Amino acid sequence: MATTTLTPAASTYRSGLYEWVTTTDHKKIGILYIVNSFVFFFLAGMMALLVRTELAQPGLQILKDESVYNQLFTMHGSVMIFLFIIPMLAGFANYVVPLQIGAPDMAFPRINALSFWMLPLGGILLLLGFVTGGAAQAGWTSYSPLAQARPLGSVGHGEDLWIMGLVLIGTSSILGSINFLVTIFKMRAPGMTLFRMPILVWTVLVTSVLVLMATPVFTSALIMLFIDRNVGGGHFFDPQFGGNAILWQNVFWFYSHPAVYVMVLPAMGMISEILPVFSRKPLFGYRAFVFATAGIGALGFSVWAHHMFTTGSVYLPFFSLMTFLIAVPTGVKMFNWIFTLFRGKLTFSTPLLFALGFLTMFLIGGINGAFSAAVPVDFALHDTYWVVAHLHYVLFGGSVFGVMAGLYYWFPKMTGRMLSEGLGKIQFVLMFAGFNLTFFPMHQLGLAGMPRRIADYSASAGWNDLNLLATVGGFTIAASMLPLLWNIFISLRAGKIAGDDPWEANTLEWATSSPPPPYNFDHLPEIRSERPLFDLRHGRTGGH
Amino acid sequence: MSSAPGSRPSTTTIFGWLIAAVVGVALLALVALNGPAIWRSFFPPDAKSVEGQQIRNLYDIVFAIAVVIFVIVEGLIIWTVVRYRRKPGDDVLPPQTHGNNVAEIIWTLVPTAIVIFLFIISWQTLNSVEAVSAKPDLKVRAVAGQFQWSFQYLPADAQADTKPVFTITAPEGPDGGLFLPAGQTTHVFLQSPDVIHAFYVPHFLFKRDVVPGIVNQFDLEIPSDDAGQTYRGQCAELCGVGHRIMVFDVHALAPADFQAWYTKQVAAANATPAPAPSGAAAGPSIPLTAQNVKFDQSTLTAPTTGFTIHLDNKDAGIPHDVQILDGTGTRVTNDKAITGPAVTDYSIPALPAGSYKFECSIHPTLMFGTLTVQ
Amino acid sequence: MTASSGILTTGDPGHAVDEQNPTASLAHDSRGGISNPILGMLLFICSEVMFFSGLFAAYFSIRASSVQWPPIVASDPALTEHFNLHAEPWYAAGLTLILVISSFTCQMGVWAIRRDDRTGFIRAFGVTLVLGIVFLIGQVYDYSTIGFGISDTPFGTTFYTLTGFHGAHVFGGAVMLSVILYRGLAGQFSSKHHDAVEAASLYWHFVDVVWIALFSTLYIL
Repeated sequence: MATTTLTPAASTYRSGLYEWVTTTDHKKIGILYIVNSFVFFFLAGMMALLVRTELAQPGLQILKDESVYNQLFTMHGSVMIFLFIIPMLAGFANYVVPLQIGAPDMAFPRINALSFWMLPLGGILLLLGFVTGGAAQAGWTSYSPLAQARPLGSVGHGEDLWIMGLVLIGTSSILGSINFLVTIFKMRAPGMTLFRMPILVWTVLVTSVLVLMATPVFTSALIMLFIDRNVGGGHFFDPQFGGNAILWQNVFWFYSHPAVYVMVLPAMGMISEILPVFSRKPLFGYRAFVFATAGIGALGFSVWAHHMFTTGSVYLPFFSLMTFLIAVPTGVKMFNWIFTLFRGKLTFSTPLLFALGFLTMFLIGGINGAFSAAVPVDFALHDTYWVVAHLHYVLFGGSVFGVMAGLYYWFPKMTGRMLSEGLGKIQFVLMFAGFNLTFFPMHQLGLAGMPRRIADYSASAGWNDLNLLATVGGFTIAASMLPLLWNIFISLRAGKIAGDDPWEANTLEWATSSPPPPYNFDHLPEIRSERPLFDLRHGRTGGH
Repeated sequence: MSSAPGSRPSTTTIFGWLIAAVVGVALLALVALNGPAIWRSFFPPDAKSVEGQQIRNLYDIVFAIAVVIFVIVEGLIIWTVVRYRRKPGDDVLPPQTHGNNVAEIIWTLVPTAIVIFLFIISWQTLNSVEAVSAKPDLKVRAVAGQFQWSFQYLPADAQADTKPVFTITAPEGPDGGLFLPAGQTTHVFLQSPDVIHAFYVPHFLFKRDVVPGIVNQFDLEIPSDDAGQTYRGQCAELCGVGHRIMVFDVHALAPADFQAWYTKQVAAANATPAPAPSGAAAGPSIPLTAQNVKFDQSTLTAPTTGFTIHLDNKDAGIPHDVQILDGTGTRVTNDKAITGPAVTDYSIPALPAGSYKFECSIHPTLMFGTLTVQ
Repeated sequence: MTASSGILTTGDPGHAVDEQNPTASLAHDSRGGISNPILGMLLFICSEVMFFSGLFAAYFSIRASSVQWPPIVASDPALTEHFNLHAEPWYAAGLTLILVISSFTCQMGVWAIRRDDRTGFIRAFGVTLVLGIVFLIGQVYDYSTIGFGISDTPFGTTFYTLTGFHGAHVFGGAVMLSVILYRGLAGQFSSKHHDAVEAASLYWHFVDVVWIALFSTLYIL
């Protein structure tokens, strides 16, 4: 590939901490997002390991103070969702979207930097609870009245810090989504029509709409909870003072269900970039895929109450039907992915392995979701470990495998060096095995009646073996991080030089140097389809 | 590309496959050894209520459909991945298929049909599970407070807030929990004085949230064959630091046994409470204050000749008690809880010298200490 | 801005379109349409609408589930009296009028700058800012005399939450107007270059509309 004649861009970057702190370059901000998210990923992973260690055997072993246990799972969930998955995907989008649409940067570079810097600040606020007398401990869902400042509830600063941290992180998300939308609508290169945009850009577009519409509602809920706790006396969400406990759940899930799609759609987009490249075929059913993404986004706003089937306060048939229906566009995507692979010529590089991990695991996460859509079955499964299994198959089996695929795929573009394939495959095998060992038994635990969020269980309940298995799996996942870290460390120092386009990829980011220079492009290839680089190599084969 | 086509696989790759093989063999061995038990673990426990049996039937249908879809789609993925590997040195492009509208329509319509079928059967089951009898045989109110269940038995014409005939305060054990007549319909009201809890009995395949400010209700019937059985129930909605200890028993009694039990309870409730044994005679009075769900003392000392604990419960609306447990963890007292703000005297009988644990049985994870009898 | 190699010239990618600079020509497709700052502001307003929707939803939900609205406080008849905002909506109506007029003056400022009338623009925005500040002072005075606090029943909590967050947005809008005014006095705007003015006025109109919704809900409905 010789579409660029730029000198290696590394020399144009001013080195040093100052440059990273003050940068408004979307690529550097993207990398900051990714690094920051990994830091929080490891922190929240440690919390999960503590929780799993406690649950390995009946009896309280390490977390004798059960409020610490409650703090740990609360913060594990909050940090993983708000400081790892969402910002991690936003980081990849930050790096890749402007490149893929042939833009020099995001529409508002300074606001972009602001969005990023709110994250570590919010994260510190969130975690500060641990040193100020106890972090939030009402679960990441923070149901009121448990989250109120009342005895046996959430007395102390932890919950307030949790609220403030999330308001900050939410604002960061909202500003980020505005930035993405303006960038995608206004900054596309000539020829890059909407229906020639890479699928990742489409998913980021829909995700941004979800964030824009849903996150402010969550912010309002957080603020009402804050008022309840500190000045208002509980009139919003505490029935003891005339408030409404179900109101919190409605407002919370109005955001937090679309947030599930915020956490999955961009990962789907990344998979949709990777599968075609490594099967050397275009994505099967590009337009169907776009419509399915939009459909998920739209339906995503009408299913929130399926988290509340057992409250007795929602109209069950409507939300059940909507929840079943949202499986349809998801199924369409699944078949489109499979038929992208079908009759392709597959190269099993690490990104493809993780992408296949996504397909096989997300399938389970989708199917076990259908159980909970059937309301009476949900009566049995709700708030048991079945739900823990389901959500991890979606968010770990889906999003995290997607993130890993994306990391191996774009690392060469970001750094100019390849990650080691051997270490990558070791990581994949460990992570895939560890993931299934941890979370598959949770289905059975849930069916056997083990509720979520308990620090201990009776030895006679019959849950011992499966819990031990899950804990072994948890440590296997942790072990799978070691080859990844080692891989990144050695590859940054001595990895194979990547060149502009190591994967024979399709989209514009591979038309510039690795890493790209500031403002990204010297000149762009002609854009006549969603695969401009493929067209450049092989000529057009139809499409859009 | 990563490893050039045709090149020898690296040692790391071999290592990776080795791990995969070991894990795979281990899993296979596990399945081979425990086949039937593993198969059973994919299903909820045998349903012990009429409603639960309907839910179980629905679960079986959903499970069957799920397995079929899983096998087809996962099989398709694996077959495709194995079949369409790129051969080393093969640089010819595969056919560039961009899509197929007929295929898209098929895999939109078929899943739609499947989910609508699932919706309809689950709706039917829902209607029958949610149906409430106009004339239930028994009305009970389950009260879930942090962190204890109690069960109030209501008169036949009771509404949600009717005063109970009698209350079972112990949530478990042979004399505690929810006693129900098997083969008859019980209408259950749920009430919470504090935060959200959930009434969950795995064997009924059913749970319902206990939301403060809202009265949830449902009907429950245990088949008459299951009289004499006891089922374990548990709070399923995080309700604070004592969430996991909110367990309760459900006892299914034959209708005749239930009548006898019921009559006994009514009689006990109507009997004038026996005068409390005089605390002063039993020995010294030891003050203990409960505030913010904590005892003010973590160690107490008492003589072997018996003594009185003077409990001052300062927590408005929260019940506390003081129970004493011997070295094996067995309770040696059975005192009634008081709801604050209130004070009471617990007369403790003479105990042999030694070290005991005292705790509030409603908040044992938060309120406990050591009692030395000497 | 980042220093660049010899091949690339630097520049603000959003605005400078330089024939010599290939990157800048890619900056965005300048086939017309809405400008970036205005689109950004419209999207921001969307998110603000959703924020207030959350608060309004909570208000209506609590109002619908209470037996009596405004609530009757048996222990404190004076409080019940104060809750009856419907009886005396005139003061708030006055505030509403001030905000509506400020919306008009703001729009006059936008029209002025569109025809390059800088003096008219600065005068109109100055009046808008003053009206905004008057509104804020008026609201603070209203709080001090209204007779109930934020913790007095769900009515007090919802009233102060809704009006308080609206007030915070008016304050934010006033800051925005001040910045625009300052930049206007420095001569930064013209008929060709005034996206920031348009964006600020959109925000001000939004704040006005929210108040009208609030006034109708709290004082009339």
